[in-house]
Amino acid sequence: MSSSLAPECSEVKERYDQCFIKWYSEKYLRGEAKTDDCKKLFDIYKECLSKAMKAKGIDTMLAEARKNSKDLDMDIGQSR
Amino acid sequence: MVKFYENYFSYDFAWPAVTLAYFLRYPNPYSSHVLASDTLSRHLDPTTGKLTTVRLLLKRGKLPAAVARFLPKIKESYILESSEVDIRNQTMVTETRNLDWEGVISVVENQVYTPSYSSHNNSSDGEKTDVKLTVKISSRVGSNAREKVADAASSGGLWASWTTGSIQKSIEVIGMKRMREGLGRSKEGMKVVLEGLREKGLLAAMQERRERRLADKEEGVQSKWSSIWRGATGMNEGDKLRKDSDE
Repeated sequence: MSSSLAPECSEVKERYDQCFIKWYSEKYLRGEAKTDDCKKLFDIYKECLSKAMKAKGIDTMLAEARKNSKDLDMDIGQSR
Repeated sequence: MVKFYENYFSYDFAWPAVTLAYFLRYPNPYSSHVLASDTLSRHLDPTTGKLTTVRLLLKRGKLPAAVARFLPKIKESYILESSEVDIRNQTMVTETRNLDWEGVISVVENQVYTPSYSSHNNSSDGEKTDVKLTVKISSRVGSNAREKVADAASSGGLWASWTTGSIQKSIEVIGMKRMREGLGRSKEGMKVVLEGLREKGLLAAMQERRERRLADKEEGVQSKWSSIWRGATGMNEGDKLRKDSDE
């Protein structure tokens, strides 16, 4: 799997990615997924990533981009 | 001004495999410019069965010299990728857009993945996946008060002899050219990942990717990829990069 933009999060990202791919291929794609089995691992990964994004100022950039694209009648990451 | 691009193509792999490969596509031998990818959010809607994912990609910036000389050096850029897999209707919709420098150039790419049912092939062809691609490229240089860089640049210097419109147009033309080149690479990358899944199975492919990532980190080389994945030798990434920087 690919690296995280925050090297300190690579281990938890790896664990989450492995879980997701297994769940996606063995459950989701077979239409058997009722819940997201990897939620716990995702929360751990996200906690690490959020800290790193804050430190790098990426959270601000993301918020700004979402705001800008809303102005332009586009949506980012909102469900279609 | 805005430029649109539309293209249809297909992969010789079943739809479930293609959607899996989409999530697994980095790293691949054609993605050395993708430095990192992170999942920002993921949500399974229990009623519709739709899975939405938002990822943040970090790419090494390669603005062509023709554009780059007017602007501060762009070394890397962030791309926001959102996707929605609809397992019941067998459809995957994806969107990528650049997050930074979007006042200079905005590239929004949409893809729709569906199983291919060709009319001249009676067997319900479950082994192919159709992709519809649309890209929207626009430059708002000089027309957006929020973009201080562009405003400062358009007030004089090298920009002086250009009209805002002609600058935007040039940036869009270059952006279109780069997008077409990038599209070829991204398709090849997907194919390599798909072949890996087919030949080695999911677990082996994942393990190898993990080892490759660790090895790349240690050695800082991507070239070893070509010896591991078949079909990666037909392209000389180095030449390609040199050619790009001459633009």
